[in-house]
Amino acid sequence: MSEYLVRFSLKQRIEHLATMLIFTGLCLTGLPQKFYTAGWAQWTVRVVGGVDNARWIHRALGIALAVSTLAHFAGAFAAIVARKTGFNIVPTQKDFKDAIDTLKYYLGLSDRPAEFDRYDYKQKWEYWGLVVGNVIMIASGLILFYPTVAARIMPGQVIPAAKVAHSNEGLMAFLVITIWHIFNAHLNPDVFPFDTSIFTGKISRERMEHEHPLELARMEGGAAREHGGASAAHAGHKMG
Amino acid sequence: MNRIGLALLIAAASLPARAAIPAEEDDCLSCHGTDKTMTLDLPSGEKVSLFVDQEVFAKSVHGDMLRCTECHADKTGYPHDSKPFKTRRDVAVAFYEQCKKCHFANYTKTLDGVHYALMAKGNTHAALCVDCHGSHAITRPAEPRTRISETCAGCHEPVYETYTKSVHGKALLAGSQDVPVCTDCHRAHDIPDPRSGALSLRTAEICGRCHTNEKLMSKYGLSTKVVDTYLSDFHGMAATLQKGKQKGEGIRLAAGCTDCHGVHDIQKTDDPTSHVLQANLVQTCRKCHPDANANFPAAWLSHYEPSWQKAPLVYAVQLFYKFIIPFMVAGIVLQIALHLWRVVVNR
Repeated sequence: MSEYLVRFSLKQRIEHLATMLIFTGLCLTGLPQKFYTAGWAQWTVRVVGGVDNARWIHRALGIALAVSTLAHFAGAFAAIVARKTGFNIVPTQKDFKDAIDTLKYYLGLSDRPAEFDRYDYKQKWEYWGLVVGNVIMIASGLILFYPTVAARIMPGQVIPAAKVAHSNEGLMAFLVITIWHIFNAHLNPDVFPFDTSIFTGKISRERMEHEHPLELARMEGGAAREHGGASAAHAGHKMG
Repeated sequence: MNRIGLALLIAAASLPARAAIPAEEDDCLSCHGTDKTMTLDLPSGEKVSLFVDQEVFAKSVHGDMLRCTECHADKTGYPHDSKPFKTRRDVAVAFYEQCKKCHFANYTKTLDGVHYALMAKGNTHAALCVDCHGSHAITRPAEPRTRISETCAGCHEPVYETYTKSVHGKALLAGSQDVPVCTDCHRAHDIPDPRSGALSLRTAEICGRCHTNEKLMSKYGLSTKVVDTYLSDFHGMAATLQKGKQKGEGIRLAAGCTDCHGVHDIQKTDDPTSHVLQANLVQTCRKCHPDANANFPAAWLSHYEPSWQKAPLVYAVQLFYKFIIPFMVAGIVLQIALHLWRVVVNR
């Protein structure tokens, strides 16, 4: 039986679960409005009791997403101020190098893939894609929710522009999640069939060695220094 | 084969002669065709004339087709049994069902119509076949075409007045054959109740029948993209998904063509009284968006497709996503493909 380390805190696991459920609900009530002439879209709208219901559900979930995004920012800000966490999700020069090295490895131009710290470049890209996407969706969504209020502080043309942005950004988020995230969390041979770590919070030591060797080394080095060889799992928990 | 042919021949030969008036002249018309003063006196004080002008009937669509008793089926002998009619309207209602023997398709359509629905609720003023078509003097209803709207005006006079001042009504009276008359939008027999809102939800399709017709619109220099641009906008999407819904408690229906352009008072968009003229547009938006300000109408692109000239911001956002979405999707698919290829090669 392999040793497990703690990768995600309870707060992070709850945030992921909430985002996942809200995102699914938003897609189910939003995409049928974009593709309203399609049979599946009209069926979905009928199931939720008409377009007006679909819209109210969509708005409620949108507000939930906005609240969870703000809570996430506030939490991250507080943690940074209290020095409980570093900027380990912020892209660095190394991430660009890692991306190029990994592509070289995929193409057979080098023998080894890049080695990653706590978050690899793909995860950072997806995280920031989600953050920027959320900001665009929340801002454009609010404009569409309150068009007459928006027109009081902005030119009227912002409203149809917000509609185009909301509709396309939403589709892009859906495509990125269904293609990219489902691949990385389920179909990727490293984790197939299901990367459970975001739900259980745990990751096997074997996977840490393979996927996040720099973080593991840092954790164990730090743990050795601080606690004179206390368990790596404990140190990992502190990292969360 | 031969036997069937023979049977058909006998059947055809045994049909009654279709020359109604001469055959019945001696019977019915000997009284009803001569005495112009003959009336049926009703308890309400009304008098129904029982005189039939032979010449008028002969020129009607039924003139060489119907016998008197085909409609007046209960009058089989003399003296006639008189039904206990109280009012003139009772007489009309009693004859209402006579038409369906031949005109069954149109009769069943009326069962879905608003006039029948009102009559079923006890409103005896709701229009029956004879109210629009007449009785002994029935001629083709659309000859001339102006007759249709004039027929409806018999009861719907104020609406007709409004219509005759609209862009469509004025053109009709000037002899245009291109513009809609009442029945083009409302239909003739299965007229839906316009108050439920279901009709206004269908206006994109109804108005679109003419306004997407390239040949017809080019004659007037009008765009045929009006329906597509409406459908790709918020209102068009919502109206499409609300199809079949009716106005009600808490149910607001999305704006259709007539909600902005007007219904019977539709004008050219550059007419000073047009609801969609720039100067009048805020007022029109406020019908549904009461707190709209002067900026708000610019949210609607006036049936234009976004371009650098019209709505550059919308066009820029559209263009951005037109490139970024394929770029993103192609990028991640390529990365996944390379990843999997590497896994396969390593094995």
